[in-house]
Parts: sequence; structure tokens; C-alpha cells
Amino acid sequence: MAKKSLVVLLILALSIAMFSGCGKEETGENVSTGTDTSSQEGTTNDGNSNSADNEKEDVKLDILWFADGVETEAMQNVMDNYKVENPHVEFNMIEVAYSDLDSKLKTMIAGGTPPAIARVTNPGLLFDHAQDLSEFMGGYDTFTEQYMDSLEPYYTKDGGVYAVPMDVTANGLIYNKTLFDQAGVDVPGSPEEVWTWEEFEQAVIEVKENSDARYGLLWDVTSHRWSTLLYEFGGSIINEAGDGPAINNEQGVAAMNYFKKLHDTDVIPKSVWLGGENPNNLFRSGTAVAHLSGNWMLSNYRDITDFDWGVTYAPKQATRSSVPGGKYMMPFKNTGVEEEAMKFLEYFAKAENTGQYCSDSLFISPRLDNSELDYEYGKEMFAIFSNELANTPPAAAKDWSRQDIMPVVNPDITDAIKDVLMGEAEAQEALDKVAQLITETIEAQ
Amino acid sequence: MEHRIKQKKRKINIQRALAPYLFVFPNFIIFFIFVVIPAAYGLYFSFTNYDGLSEEEFVGITNYVKLFSDSDFWDTMLRTAIYSGIVVPTIYVFALGIAILLIKEIRFKGIFRAIIYWPTMISFIVVGVTWKWIFGDTFGIINYLMELGGQKGIPWLSESFYATLVVIVATLWSRIGFFMVIFISGLQSIPSEFYEAANIDGAKKWQMFTQITLPLLKPTSVMVIMLAIIDSFKAYPLIVSLTGGGPGRATTYLVQYIYRFGFEKNQLGYASAMSVILFLIILITTSIQFKVNKGGEI
Amino acid sequence: MKVSKNLMVYLVLIIISAFFLLPVIWIVLSSFKAGTSLYKWPPELIPSQPSIENYIIAFKKGNFGLFFYNSFMVTILSTMVTLVINTMAGFALAKYKFKGRDLLLIGFISTLMIPLEVIMIPIFQVITKLNLYNTFVGIIVPPAATPTGLFLMRQYLLSVPDELLEAARIDGASEWRIFVKLILPISKPVLSVLTIFSFMWRWNDFLWPLIVISTPEKYTVQLAISNFVGQYNVDWNGLLAISVITMIPVLIVFLIFQKQFVKGMVTSGLKG
Repeated sequence: MAKKSLVVLLILALSIAMFSGCGKEETGENVSTGTDTSSQEGTTNDGNSNSADNEKEDVKLDILWFADGVETEAMQNVMDNYKVENPHVEFNMIEVAYSDLDSKLKTMIAGGTPPAIARVTNPGLLFDHAQDLSEFMGGYDTFTEQYMDSLEPYYTKDGGVYAVPMDVTANGLIYNKTLFDQAGVDVPGSPEEVWTWEEFEQAVIEVKENSDARYGLLWDVTSHRWSTLLYEFGGSIINEAGDGPAINNEQGVAAMNYFKKLHDTDVIPKSVWLGGENPNNLFRSGTAVAHLSGNWMLSNYRDITDFDWGVTYAPKQATRSSVPGGKYMMPFKNTGVEEEAMKFLEYFAKAENTGQYCSDSLFISPRLDNSELDYEYGKEMFAIFSNELANTPPAAAKDWSRQDIMPVVNPDITDAIKDVLMGEAEAQEALDKVAQLITETIEAQ
Repeated sequence: MEHRIKQKKRKINIQRALAPYLFVFPNFIIFFIFVVIPAAYGLYFSFTNYDGLSEEEFVGITNYVKLFSDSDFWDTMLRTAIYSGIVVPTIYVFALGIAILLIKEIRFKGIFRAIIYWPTMISFIVVGVTWKWIFGDTFGIINYLMELGGQKGIPWLSESFYATLVVIVATLWSRIGFFMVIFISGLQSIPSEFYEAANIDGAKKWQMFTQITLPLLKPTSVMVIMLAIIDSFKAYPLIVSLTGGGPGRATTYLVQYIYRFGFEKNQLGYASAMSVILFLIILITTSIQFKVNKGGEI
Repeated sequence: MKVSKNLMVYLVLIIISAFFLLPVIWIVLSSFKAGTSLYKWPPELIPSQPSIENYIIAFKKGNFGLFFYNSFMVTILSTMVTLVINTMAGFALAKYKFKGRDLLLIGFISTLMIPLEVIMIPIFQVITKLNLYNTFVGIIVPPAATPTGLFLMRQYLLSVPDELLEAARIDGASEWRIFVKLILPISKPVLSVLTIFSFMWRWNDFLWPLIVISTPEKYTVQLAISNFVGQYNVDWNGLLAISVITMIPVLIVFLIFQKQFVKGMVTSGLKG
């Protein structure tokens, strides 16, 4: 019997020890090896500050982050520079895959432990949980004036500023120079010579048949990228008044049918949209004619040595178009470090810092005074992307900045495209379904 | 003296009565805190319009009503059932077959077991990546080998039928080893005297299999089938990293469908309702199987 | 006759093994192809210029020594917890008749039917309320109550003859003593199996660490793998290398315990 109670006691003790959260595993493991974001001289959390600034308490900022290329190092540079003046701040970069960002962020918020700052692409969904920066940044107008107009709906609402724009992306056309040269086909050399879709289609077919190419045009599998075609056909997702759908109108159906045609004739390989093949890998293999992607791929493709590649003007139909996109840094409420988070964002928002970050990562800066960034690579390519953005109809920015509609509708647009490509639905039918969802979403507001 | 004995007996009886509860307690408490409570939350959410971020509103059975007329959901359910219906029997047959082969006196059986078991130790994400690399329409080695053999490559991942096939093959590859090990354990606990006695009686191999092996293997079989069914209905990371649920929706099964609603479309309430239905279906299926087999007791 | 039958068996086994082995071999071979040679067409079966560049990339991307240590520690500790609590509970459910037993069994197993993905948020809320956020305890303890392990133990222990237990009781043994001196030794084979399983489950856990851990020092290996997948980009080179690396420890553990497993089979007071 004594043995029994001993066992019971043991189990109880174990359970208590486990749940008191003071695991012995924690204390020994605070060695931050290898992650060079945390500190330069081994400053730890418990106040061993070796700076002159002895009044400031040590602060740790959690930054929820994802990356496609080199922007992590670029951001770390910014952070390191910030720490020179602010040694009491320690940054903890929590890097996740983009596909996990949503769930990670939501679980953190729902659990009551939001990160100090998160890098996001859909800030609109999170406004309720974000810290209003307008006062801190010197007033709504003062702040927003410094940035591109088209971005405003993404990070502001009702006079409040809830995030800081980090970089702007533009969709555009990357092509394989080597293959084009092999086939003896030219690309437009200036905005005046921009080709129509018919001309471009022909060019792709010609290059494919007269060179080592195995694949035609690669197209990223997102509705955002597909919408480039939609705008070029003169269509849009939401109507001009902003109170109803437009995606299922004549232009929308035409764009969808054309997209299907390009697949059926193998101008676009089916393995990307349907087979899950990654366009980046395909392009890198040097056997694809072109890649309809965007400027973020520049830093990624930079190390390609097997073949020559470049950026050229995307084709037009009723009009030219690109689609803007961007990333934002959002400070959260209820973190206990809101002030410090905002201070860092203020630092980042300065022209020279945002500019440095963007030119290091090869991104376009969202700031109006950064239009002439000194990119150490690909200057002419950036010029083309900027030109594309400048020739984009307002519908593109208007649609995608509708943070109240787009996140809900986005996956359904992608589904509709896939259904049409697989032959499981007619273009009109599929688009009508999306239009229905848009209407419902607007009504539910 | 008698009184003392009676006291001791009562003590022992109390001890015996308490024992099972105490043995079960640690497992139970963890299970309760980390599964029952969150599941209860989940159940609660299914009656709300929770979006994962802001305050939720109670909406009664709206989600469930919507669910019944959601044809996409039932299509997904059917697809999942088909996937499960093919995978489970196949796993059973192959795992048992291989296990039988590997309990004989064969040299290198340790190596064979290790080779067949190894894929189960690979994380689902990596399994998906592996098979995508092999069957990929463009870089896949399979198409290359086919072309070498004079055949035209097949768009494995771009067509529903083939994509489903690849998903099934990848599932089998990554799960058979696990069940093989369970069967080996079960087979080896059948006393060899039974077989010896049957041999003396002149029984044939097949008879021994059906009259001795299968019946005595019942607890193991029940467990294998149950686990395989549950596994197949929960399939997610492997398929997502292999096909992403594509082409289109051809390989989108229930958990992925639920996950999309919960996290991509911010409809956690609706997703929770779907989870409840999924759970009920699995529960009913396995309860029936359990009761029919009397819990696997011999 | 016997020779040809055995030959048949060997042949079948070799074909089956090829199916299981070749994909892994292909991944390993591919992982030694650096940069764009990975995408060369026609693909080379054996890399003409094998390089370990991918592995260097994989190691550089994070502090993999630390991640491996974390994964090992979490896996081993969690497995220990699993062995203890699953066996105790399995024993109770198999060899005792008590109120609520069947309900409890179905309850435990039904845990299996709830995919973690769908209760992620409530789980997270529970974790934070218990102050387990970003702690190792938070990824060691909760997953240790494995329903499969419990079921495994219960099914196995069902076949322990009741007479054996009764005999021990008549001899005056306490329940705990029966558990330690009788049940545990008998369970050696299945305990080996459970060890292998648990090691594999915890080693490959991805969702739990994703939910609970937020600082890189505490990352496990599986979390680190996901770092190779950006928003627009899949780094196959690093991904293949890291996949190969993560497969190795589990294999080693298996090979070690395999021998124990076979040895353990020779025991068992079950025969006859």
C-alpha cells in the first residue's frame, strides 16, 4: 500500500512539475547560436547592457517573417544598424514558410501572444489587432503622403495607419534570352513596340519550335498573377463603383477563354497550373521560353549562369497592365512592446533605410522619394517594371486593395481558373460562381 | 485473526478497484487537457461564425444547415471515401503478406524489414516531396524512363486519374512498413504449438492460415484496419506536398478542405462544423467495426 | 523443391524491397546535384559532378547542430513519457473491468480521429493559458499520450492470460508489483515496437512545434525544413539535402532497436 501511494504521489508530482511550465529544459537552452539577428556582442535578455544608455530596459521584439530570396539579410542589416543606436533592443526573427504564415499568426493572436511585428501581405484582415501608427508617425497625411497613392487602401482605414509599406511588387515578363536568340526572335525594345497577345503568342510558339526549349510560357499559379491577363483584356474583378462584381462580364470571360486556349495549345504547359510544377524550377532549367512573374524573382534568378535571361514588356490586349502587390510591416496591439515596435518601424520608414532595404533585396520601394534607387544589379529591368506599373489601369490597384473582399474571394478565383482549365466548367459558369461569392461578401458587410 | 484477514482482504480489494483508474490517470489527464478541451472549443466554434481573429457570434446551426447543401463538401467527402476504400484493403493485404514472408527463416530478413519500414519514418512532407520529384510531369524520372522505353510520358500530376493513382502509391509506400511491423508482432505472438499440432493433423498451408492465423490475428487485424481507416481520412501533409490537392480539386480530401476554410478563407466556424461531421463519420465507422469484432477480444 | 520455393520468396522480397528503396536512393543521388544541374534534362541517374554544395546550403541556412539536438532531446524525453503512460493505461484497459472502461477506450481512440490541423487554434489557447508557449515541455508532453500507442499496448496485453494475473494475486502481489514484475517483462517486444514508433512520430512532429515554438533556438529539424519554402519559391537543392539528413537518425534508431525486438520475441511466457 505504501508503494502504491508513493506511485500516486510521484505521478501527481510529475504532473505538477510538467504543468508549472518551469521546465528545466528551458534555462539551459538560451544559447542563441548561429542566428545573427539577436545580437552582435552577446547581450542577453537579463539586463547586461553594455551601452551608455543605462535607463532603457532591455526589450525583445518578435518579428514574424517569411522570405523568398535575400530580403532576410537585407532586413537584418537594417536591424543591425538600428541596434547601434538602440543596443537595448533585441530582435527575434521568427521565420516561417509563407504558406504557414497565416496559421502561425492567427494562432499567436488567438492565443494572446501576438508578435511585436509581422511581415504580411494582407494587412486589411488584421487591422483590428494592429497598433495605430498615425500619431506616432506625425499624422495620417504626413505619413501617407510619402508613399504611392495606390497603396493607401492596403495599410490604412478610417484615418488610422496600421502598417508600414516595405516593398512594392509588379508583375511582369521575364524571358530566356538564349532561347530567343537561338530562334532568332526579337523582343520589344521600348514601350512603343509593346506586342499584342497575338504577336506574343506567335513569338512563343516560334521560339519553342526553333530552339532547345521544351516549355512555352510559365505562369505562376495565383489569381493575382492571372488577373494580369484580366486587366490586359480590359476587365476587372470588382466593378467601378466598387459595389459589385465585374469578373464575369464579357472581358472577364474572354480573358478566361484565352487563358484556356493557351493551355490547350500547349503555349502554356499544363503541368504548372494543373500538375503543381513550380515555374521557378522550370525556368531555371533553361528550357522554358518565358515566365510571367514579377520583380521579386530578380534576386532569385540572379545566380543563373547557364543561360542569359532578361525582362521585357508584357503583352497588351485592350490595354497594357501589370498588377501591384506589396508587403507590409504591421505592429500589433497587446504585446507590451508597442512603443518600441513603432520606434523601429519609424526608423525603417525613413527614406534611406527603406531605400537601402529595397535596393539590397532588389525590390521596388513604396516610397515616392525612392524612385531612383541605386540597384547594383538589374537597373534596366527595374526601369521596365516601373514602366509597367505606370501603365496599369487603376482597376488593378482598386481591386486588390479591397481587403474586405479579396482574401475571401481569392482562392475561389484560383479554383474557377483550374476548373475551366480542366474542362470541368465553362468560363461563364465558373466566373458567375465567383461573382456570386463577391456579391454575398459585399452584402454580408 | 479473521478480522485482520478480512481487513487485509478489503484493503486489497480497494487497491484492486482503484488500480485501473490510477493506471489510466496520466494518459487520461493529458488527453483531456490537450485534446478534449480544444475539441470542445472546436465544437463550440462550429455553432458560431468565428473567423479566427475577432469576436465570434453565436449562430446556432447555420453552419450545419449550410453544410448539407454544400455540394463541394460532399464531393470532397466522396473523394476521401474512395481514397480510403482503395488504400485500406490494399495496405491490409500487402502488410500482412509481407509480414508473413518476413517471419520465415530467411537470411537478411532484418535488412528487408528495415528497408520496407524505413519509408514510414520519413516525415510526410518529405514523402510528398520525394514522390513529386519522381512523378513530376517535367523533371520526374518516371517519364524519362518511360521515354527511354519508347513510351510517351504521362502527365501524372496534371490529370485527375493519374494524380489520384500517384497519391495512393505514395500513401502505400509510406504506410505499409508501419502495419507490417504490427502484423509481425501479432504473428509472432501466435504460439507455434498450434501450427505444429495442425501439421501433425495433416492440415494444409492454406487451412492453417484461415483456421489458425487469421482468427488468432483478430486483435491485430482490428487495430490495423481501424488505424488505417482513421489515417486515410486524416490524410493531409503528404498529399499537400505531393499534389497540393490538385489537379484542380482531384486530390483535395477532407482535412485539406477544412484547413482551407479555416485558415485561408477565415471561416473557422464553418470549418469547425465540417470537422465535427468528419469526426462523427470516423467515429461511427470505427465504432461499428469495433462492436462487430467485439473489440478484438479473441 | 525447397530451394526453388525459397528462391521465389527471395525474388519477391527483392522486388518489393526495390520498390521501397529506389525512391530513397533517387532522392539521395539527387541531393548530390548542385545548383541547376538538378534540373538538367535528360536527368543523369548518377550525378556526373557530385557535390555536397546542397548540404552546405542546408547547414548554413540555420544552426542545424542545434536543431538536431533539440529534436533528439524532445523525441527521447517524449518517448520515455509515452512508454510509461501508454503501458499503464493499456494494461488497465486490457486486464481490468471497471466502470467507464469501454467509454474511455473509445474516447482515447477517438482522439485519433481529430486531425490536429482543425483544432490548432483552441490547442494554442490551451497551451498559452498553461504557460507552455515556447517551452520544450509544450512539445514533449502533449503529444506523448499517443492513442495509437495506447491501443497497441491494450491489444497486445489482451492476450495475457488472466490466470497468470490471478495466480500472482493469490500469491499476494500488489497491482503495481504485477505491473512491474509481470506485465513489463512480457511486453518487451511490443515496447520495442512502441519505442520505434514513438521515436518516429516525435521526430517527424511538425504541427506541434509550429504551434508552440517561436524562437529559433528551440526549433526542431522539421520546422527548419519548412524554411526552404518561400512564398513563390521552392529551394529544391536545400530541400532534398535536408530531407536526406532528417531520414538518417530515425533509421539508426530503428536498426538498433530491431535487434532488441527480435531478441525480445524469444521470451514471452505466452507460449503454451
